Amino acid sequence: MTDDTEFRQLLERLSARASSDYYNPYTTFDWPAELPEDEPWFSPELLSVHGTEYAERLTPDQLRALGRGESINFYSLNVHGIRELLIEVMRRIHTPGFEIPSEFFHHFIGEENEHMWFFATFCLKYGGRIFPEKRLKLSVPADDPVRENFLVFARILLFEQIVDHYNVRLAADERLHPTIRQLNRIHHQDESRHIAFGARLVQLLWQRLLETGPDEDDRRAIGRYLAGYLSASIGSLYNPAVYRDAGIPDGLAFRKRLLDHPARRAEHRRVLRKSTDFLRRIGVPEA
Amino acid sequence: MNDSLKPVVDWLRARNPALGEIPADLDLIENRIVDSLAFMEFILFLEDLVGRELSVTELSADQFRTLHAIEENFLAGEGSR
Repeated sequence: MTDDTEFRQLLERLSARASSDYYNPYTTFDWPAELPEDEPWFSPELLSVHGTEYAERLTPDQLRALGRGESINFYSLNVHGIRELLIEVMRRIHTPGFEIPSEFFHHFIGEENEHMWFFATFCLKYGGRIFPEKRLKLSVPADDPVRENFLVFARILLFEQIVDHYNVRLAADERLHPTIRQLNRIHHQDESRHIAFGARLVQLLWQRLLETGPDEDDRRAIGRYLAGYLSASIGSLYNPAVYRDAGIPDGLAFRKRLLDHPARRAEHRRVLRKSTDFLRRIGVPEA
Repeated sequence: MNDSLKPVVDWLRARNPALGEIPADLDLIENRIVDSLAFMEFILFLEDLVGRELSVTELSADQFRTLHAIEENFLAGEGSR
């Protein structure tokens, strides 16, 4: 891997911070028996209807139900996303090509396991369920491990950046219950290390991929794939089952109207700004 | 081909405008008619069609691999809809 020294120094700093910031998640959180349903669970500005005329047509009860559902959906997506990234990192730790980051992978795996635990606990304790996974890993053989390694860590980073956009705002929102704010604050603290690590690793893996000499079409195909991944990730925040539970009829059609809404499309660009800026900065072609 | 498959074929064609007739045994995954990024949209569409929630972790890719498999696994008894 090129530029070993700088990458090693970053990993040493992040590993030291992971050790000094270490907390026991199983004793850190206050888990009240229940969360009040007459208070918001999700910032109104983060709801999937925000900025549209549909938000104005919903009753206050429906908006609170939507907030509860979108909160449980958001943490459910985290549970599924973490499962996927843990599998991928486990496949690579202490294998050739990952000698340098493997030490930090131990911190990463440990922390992600704990995040999965507190997100799943929140869903089960207050939502009574984890929304089922809707993505399926389709078995297209990975014929190019260099490309596959880049895509795996790019997906992990982009997923973390999107989640962090929400964590930062939920943690700062004084209208929300202290447990909700605490969950998001602690996740953001850990993820800031993972994102710093991921951004450097993905940049190095992109350089390694470029060294294999992909042509313009290959590079553009990667850009299109990652744009599609970002778009699918945004789409996963719009769950027809949540709309149904909030008493909104025809959830799938409602979802499509929201996803196509100009105000929502502008919001998607804001949520994705860090990710699209990052991909542009390292030179991944735009779709 | 059963009428119950028509909405599925219409959905696939809307997303793949260059697609002609889709043989019932064509591998939709191998031929990238449904790829991993479009899969969530496909599941949401299928849930809406069959009127129940589907959990991907309890399913395998083979259950979606062909129109025939989709009909057999999800649309059995839906022909009169």
